[in-house]
Amino acid sequence: MSGSLLFQSLVLGVLLGGLYALLAAGLTLYFGVMRVVMIAHSAFLILAAYLAWWFNERTGLDPLLSLVVTVPLFFLVGVGMQRLLITRLRPATLTMMSVLLTFAIALFIEGMIGFVWSGTQRRVQLPYSGSNIEFFGANIAVVKLVAFVLAAASLGALYVLLKKSRFGQALRATIQHREAAQLVGIRTDRVAALGFGLGLATAAVGGTALALDATIYPSLHWHWVGPLMAIIVVGGLGSIPGTAIAAMVLGIGQSLLQVELGTTWAQTLFYVALFATLMLRPQGFFGGRLAQRF
Amino acid sequence: MPNASDTERPPPSPTRTAAPGPRDVKGTRQALTVARAVKLVAFVAGAVLILSFPNMAPNPYILSAGVVVASYACTATAWNFMGGFTGYISLGHAAFFGLGAYATGLLIRDLSWPPFVAWLGAGAVVVLITIPVGIAALRVRGASFVIVSIAFVLILLLVSQAWKDFTGGSNGLVVPRPFPDLLRPEHHRVFFYLFVALLAVMLLVWWVIDRSRFGAGLKAVREDEDKAQALGVPTRDYKLVAYLVSALFTGLSGGMYALWFGDLDPIFQFSILLGAYMVLMALLGGVRHLYGPLLGALIVGGALEYFKLEYGDTQLHLVATAVLLGVVVLFTPNGIIPAATDLVKRFGPQDSSIREMTAAELLERNENEARRAADE
Amino acid sequence: MTQWNRPALGLAATLTASALALSACSADAGGGGSDDTITIGISLPLTGDFSEPGKGVQRGYEAWAEMVNADGGLLGRQVELTILDDQSSADRVVQDYEALIAQDQVDLVFGPFSTRLVVPSARVAEEYGMLFVEPAGAAAEVFDQGFENLFYAAPAIANDHYNHLAEQILALPEAERPQTVAVAAMDDPFAQGTAYGLRDKLADAGLDVLVDEVYPPNTTDFSSIAAKISDSGADVVIGGTQYQDAVNLIVALQQLDYQPRLAAFSTAPTNPEFSSAIGEQTEGILAPTGYTPEAPWPSNVEFVEHYTETHGNPPAEDEANAFTTGQVVAAAVEAVGCAEQGDCQQQLIDWLRENEVETVVGPLSWDDAGRPQSAHMIQQYVEGDIRIVLPADAAEADFLFPKPTW
Repeated sequence: MSGSLLFQSLVLGVLLGGLYALLAAGLTLYFGVMRVVMIAHSAFLILAAYLAWWFNERTGLDPLLSLVVTVPLFFLVGVGMQRLLITRLRPATLTMMSVLLTFAIALFIEGMIGFVWSGTQRRVQLPYSGSNIEFFGANIAVVKLVAFVLAAASLGALYVLLKKSRFGQALRATIQHREAAQLVGIRTDRVAALGFGLGLATAAVGGTALALDATIYPSLHWHWVGPLMAIIVVGGLGSIPGTAIAAMVLGIGQSLLQVELGTTWAQTLFYVALFATLMLRPQGFFGGRLAQRF
Repeated sequence: MPNASDTERPPPSPTRTAAPGPRDVKGTRQALTVARAVKLVAFVAGAVLILSFPNMAPNPYILSAGVVVASYACTATAWNFMGGFTGYISLGHAAFFGLGAYATGLLIRDLSWPPFVAWLGAGAVVVLITIPVGIAALRVRGASFVIVSIAFVLILLLVSQAWKDFTGGSNGLVVPRPFPDLLRPEHHRVFFYLFVALLAVMLLVWWVIDRSRFGAGLKAVREDEDKAQALGVPTRDYKLVAYLVSALFTGLSGGMYALWFGDLDPIFQFSILLGAYMVLMALLGGVRHLYGPLLGALIVGGALEYFKLEYGDTQLHLVATAVLLGVVVLFTPNGIIPAATDLVKRFGPQDSSIREMTAAELLERNENEARRAADE
Repeated sequence: MTQWNRPALGLAATLTASALALSACSADAGGGGSDDTITIGISLPLTGDFSEPGKGVQRGYEAWAEMVNADGGLLGRQVELTILDDQSSADRVVQDYEALIAQDQVDLVFGPFSTRLVVPSARVAEEYGMLFVEPAGAAAEVFDQGFENLFYAAPAIANDHYNHLAEQILALPEAERPQTVAVAAMDDPFAQGTAYGLRDKLADAGLDVLVDEVYPPNTTDFSSIAAKISDSGADVVIGGTQYQDAVNLIVALQQLDYQPRLAAFSTAPTNPEFSSAIGEQTEGILAPTGYTPEAPWPSNVEFVEHYTETHGNPPAEDEANAFTTGQVVAAAVEAVGCAEQGDCQQQLIDWLRENEVETVVGPLSWDDAGRPQSAHMIQQYVEGDIRIVLPADAAEADFLFPKPTW
């Protein structure tokens, strides 16, 4: 492998890792607040990508503008989903049944996307889709850079929100110990609902970023489910910084391996990492006490 | 069912069966002679109905749809060895189905084994591969187990696509016909009976496990894994054995499917949707009941085939599957068999009021249910 | 919710959902061949990986049926198409043909799209003794399966599609001739057949193959394949592609500012959507084709006229191959004088073995395995339009080399 190819792959890996980090952060958030494995996360991701594509197709405006609508919409849908569906499940079987319920939601979204927009592959056509800028000899596609910046900014905002605001404190308290949080007067159910909304909002941002530079089709979300699930387990269920680190490492690893092994084998990295984590350190490499029991 | 909150808060209700041990059921048996007779008649009628299906099918297509439904019944029942007994819900059983199918095809192609020897060999291959996966997956509970089960399907999908020289890659693998001289309708008929035979074996094994100490241990895991462990049930080994039995039967179903269908495509063999169908069928029928998955497969499989025939393959069948799964999860997570029995009991003459149910009554009801299940 | 009404409600809800799922499908299927019409069963990938070409094939079949019916039908009977969607899945395509033949009792079947789906469906057709003429199964291995009922309705099999281009490249003077090749092909027999046919001919002539990548059909991220090709700096890039993968690969190559001297992609460039999908930067892209709307064959003039009238643009290759399939079957039916299941099918097969058929892609005849015995042409984007550039006697424009930047 030549040096320039290595560097090019590294750059592509960082760009990909940023997107993974944002999406996996949402996933780990649901798990943290509700102990819910949200299978439908990537289906919402693809839905957001479709909405961005549709917006662009209809109005001719830049698909990024669809964020103005999709982010608040997804936030509300997330809150609604938590209040109306997830809380209806019996606590004793919540973890298992929520997997099935969110799986059903994922199928529903996939089916509806296919029904409304057909199974045809779609791609946003942008005047700048082929343009690139040079960066120390590597070429960075403008669309990928925009997507990365969007993801990084959202992830940063999420981090600040969780660290600095009162709501963030309440949310972290809920993640750490729900009963204790209740005892100190945090309304954990309300916090959980907002956390769910936040998680889904990351899917809206991620989907729009994805739509800039990828072909989308209804069943594409299965391609994202596996890697994202692997990332949150490797990072430690419930730990957002752990997730972000795992996403970056695995994203770069995938990109580098692709050069030697080809795209398909490179994807198995996520699953190898997943199984290795479970054998060596089931609580995840950056996770705390929480993850062990799930 | 194992759960996050078990150690952090008091158990929500005493919905657990007793620790493993033989149960004295002789007294109830006599009282249930009439019920047993009814059951026997229903069993014979059902068996006759199923066995005479190939003769009633108006054309070979309906017969082939019947084979598909029979294969669904096999996979759903096989899934239930894990899902029903231990409460561990695997969304990734399609992995075993695909493994069984590919192993059968590859043993015939590369080692020239006779078809049904290859089929049994494929079962052994599935078990061997499942052992390490099972150990990894069962180190964790609940959420991570589901993630691992999904990951296992996805990883096999990638491998079967990428390892072109061995698996045929995306072009798929052609499995030679075991009976090359049979006409297509005859071929369907033979395989319908083969699937039914496989199903019968599975039901028998289920019935045996259900009455054994091993089965009681598994059910203890389902109700409260920590307590079961504390009471000395070797939970890890029990779970692993259940997982292997479940994988073995799913793999055999997949191998049978490969012999019948002939064309293996990675995307279909290792499809998460197939795994979801198994879960839906088993849950819909009732995971705690011997015939639950079979009933679910007849309903869901029948509806799917009907849907495809009348409407072609639109995206709406995904939506219908999704809605059905959501409704089952939200409203009847125990399946329609218990829901129906409850309903009959409620409107039946002998029942007074169960509006208020004390913990003791609940316990009693659960024990009755367990006995009934044991009697089936 | 109190404990006691929960199971009842749940059961009711579940049963209602099941009942809805069932009753939603009570509409009449309406299949079945009557004496007045000839029903023809087809399964096509209208959704999924191959949906773009699949819809093209559908348009071609429909155009054929409209024209035949306007002309008085086949054997004086009107033609009716039953088209099912197989979602690009081999599993579905088998069930579809089984349903069409055994349940709907169609009189004739036409083939599906893509080699992957042709092999399983041809087997079903063979086991029911049906004639199977198909518009898309071009890969060499289709003809190695021993089918006795199969005919490919296009001029040549996949590995020979680029023959004229290979000759042209190798005929260039030594100094101008490209030296290195990069190949990326979908894991699909047709796409690989075309790309490897050209790759092998160039490699035999001494060109270096620097990159040789295969990707699964559902791949959407081409950035690392593109990075490898770009890094190799190969003179020639060959894409064994269907449709969307070609668009994605080309955009990814553009993002890395890779400029080959020659770029050849199968299938995608002939699609009318292609140039808008990659942002009009198509100049110089090559593709093989078995068809051109300008071809002078009498039936083609009619076909192009009719098609352009109804769709507003001339037909592309997929439409033409489907139309050809219709013509081939129609010729056999008219000659033998029957169209139903049973012995008639074998008579149709025997007739096609012996005879040549006039089609929109020229006269076609087949060898014993169903391989057509003609050749493909090479098209290139020249000044924004896709034109035939090879062979010289059919050329509409001059072969453009080296390729302008994209």
